[in-house]
Amino acid sequence: MLRSVLLKTLRDQRRSLLFWGVGLVLVAAFLAGFYPTVKDNKLFQQMLETYPDELKGLMGITEGMDITSGVGWLNVEAFGFLTPLLFIVYGVIAGSAAIAGEEGRGTLYLLLTEPIERGRVVLEKFGAMALATAALCIVLYAALAVGASATGMDDVGMLNLAAITASAGLLGLTFGALAFAVGCATGRSGLAGGVAAAAAIATYLVNAMSMSVDALAPIKWASPFFYYNGADPLANGLDQTHALVLLAAPAALCAVGYLGFRRRDIAV
Amino acid sequence: MDAAIRLDKLTKFYGSRVGVEGLDLEVRPGEIFGYLGPNGAGKTTTIRVLMDLIRPTSGTATVLGMDAQAESVEVRRRVGYIAGDPSLYGNLTGEETLTYAASLRGGGDWRRVHELADWGGDGRRRGPGGSYWRRVHELAERLECDLSRRVGTLSSGNRRKIAVIRAFMHDPPLLIMDEPTGGLDPLMQEEFGKMVREASEKGATAFVSSHILPEVEQVCDRVGIIRQGRLVAVESVDTLKSRAMRSLEIEFGERVSPESFSNLEGVHNLAVSGTTLKCGVTGSVGPLIKAAAQFDLIDVALHEPTLEEIFLTYYVGGEQDRAA
Repeated sequence: MLRSVLLKTLRDQRRSLLFWGVGLVLVAAFLAGFYPTVKDNKLFQQMLETYPDELKGLMGITEGMDITSGVGWLNVEAFGFLTPLLFIVYGVIAGSAAIAGEEGRGTLYLLLTEPIERGRVVLEKFGAMALATAALCIVLYAALAVGASATGMDDVGMLNLAAITASAGLLGLTFGALAFAVGCATGRSGLAGGVAAAAAIATYLVNAMSMSVDALAPIKWASPFFYYNGADPLANGLDQTHALVLLAAPAALCAVGYLGFRRRDIAV
Repeated sequence: MDAAIRLDKLTKFYGSRVGVEGLDLEVRPGEIFGYLGPNGAGKTTTIRVLMDLIRPTSGTATVLGMDAQAESVEVRRRVGYIAGDPSLYGNLTGEETLTYAASLRGGGDWRRVHELADWGGDGRRRGPGGSYWRRVHELAERLECDLSRRVGTLSSGNRRKIAVIRAFMHDPPLLIMDEPTGGLDPLMQEEFGKMVREASEKGATAFVSSHILPEVEQVCDRVGIIRQGRLVAVESVDTLKSRAMRSLEIEFGERVSPESFSNLEGVHNLAVSGTTLKCGVTGSVGPLIKAAAQFDLIDVALHEPTLEEIFLTYYVGGEQDRAA
């Protein structure tokens, strides 16, 4: 695990990733465990419908969504808020730690005074974050797939479940990449994490409010959350355009990070 | 190859603050070059430009005939570097730290690390052809460094030893070291000095920064003195010593008059009060001691010049040159 920057970065996270994995499995088990009490419970659905539109938007409840169905339940409880939040938190932590964290701890020189290009360091650090996110996606997907079939969420398609889980991972990676890029360009991990967290909250609100506030509708395309579940992948399968945007955004931010890092003075 | 390191009008500003300005310097291949200056003089700035951690505002740095910026990767392949503040990964052991460094250097293959570091070309192959891992343990043994402990649990001196091994393990043709002996105890400093001299005997060049004069005197062939971002002087250590003014205090058993000492060669700032004589001496102390021996001599105390006094010598010297 000490053969490359990528493997070393994953090695440093091995314990933390284990806990993230366990946490995601617990989330999936919790959601699956509660589903039988909600299933076919019309009172529950009626109660939700009394919520104002703004609140529904924040909870990820879209028009005509039936929360007592497997798709509705997972869309609201798993993918409305909690899962994207967890992936974003992981991404922002990993992204701000990658280059800026090492710089802050004074260990970045250990990489940059060896005969390797700065670009390779950027790429491997980013690759470690992307791989770890992918691993967490797989863990969550497996746990949800088992939970869904065990509790009779018959309407949940396994491919669609994969689509929404991957979208959540890419959403987290997008904000992780933003933190990564700011960290690359400035060397300040606090700033990197702050910018990415602020961007996540702002774009989340824009997307959620755009469902009820007409003035926000034209700018919802600027929010990564729109590409995450705007096309409802759990019900409709993967929207290729949206998926491409979520793939392109982290890649573009990684490139921006490299450009900011390439010619910059290193603090330590 | 002409110069191991060549600085050409090297200038680095941090915003409006001067790091170094207009440095011209040539370090000859095979020499041990001391880079002497007080804290904040620009030593670390210079070294970090050589390692391509920071980019010069203007001017160029050439290392082993290669541009320190454009050909940085090739430069770093041939350089062993010790940082002034050698932070390491606290969660790794010494062995893991060095394994990681070797991996980044040669793709995880110790033997390859050796091949890649081999500068060749002039027929002076360095080091045994054997495994680098053996070289690491050999160095660890010399420095009495325990590689099995987590770096985070080590004292700063022991962490420094790991940084030293990291710089030496591939037998690089050029060592660039920023105050490398900080935290090492005197015995280890001596051992370190030996390692640098051995490397130099095999043909390697060493560039060592320091703010402690005796340290530089012990190891180096030539010394560059930097102050406030500018190179004040480049001298051989011998010249430096002979030009440097040492302060001398002589205690007599009788009253002496200043006139008896005032016209002696190399004696400056003479002050006599009662039975005590104080002065500064450049070059040989012979004439002064001979003159003093004519009186009832009780004690002689000689103080090696501090770095600040050396600077004063050069500043005074510089001013006189300009006046002349």
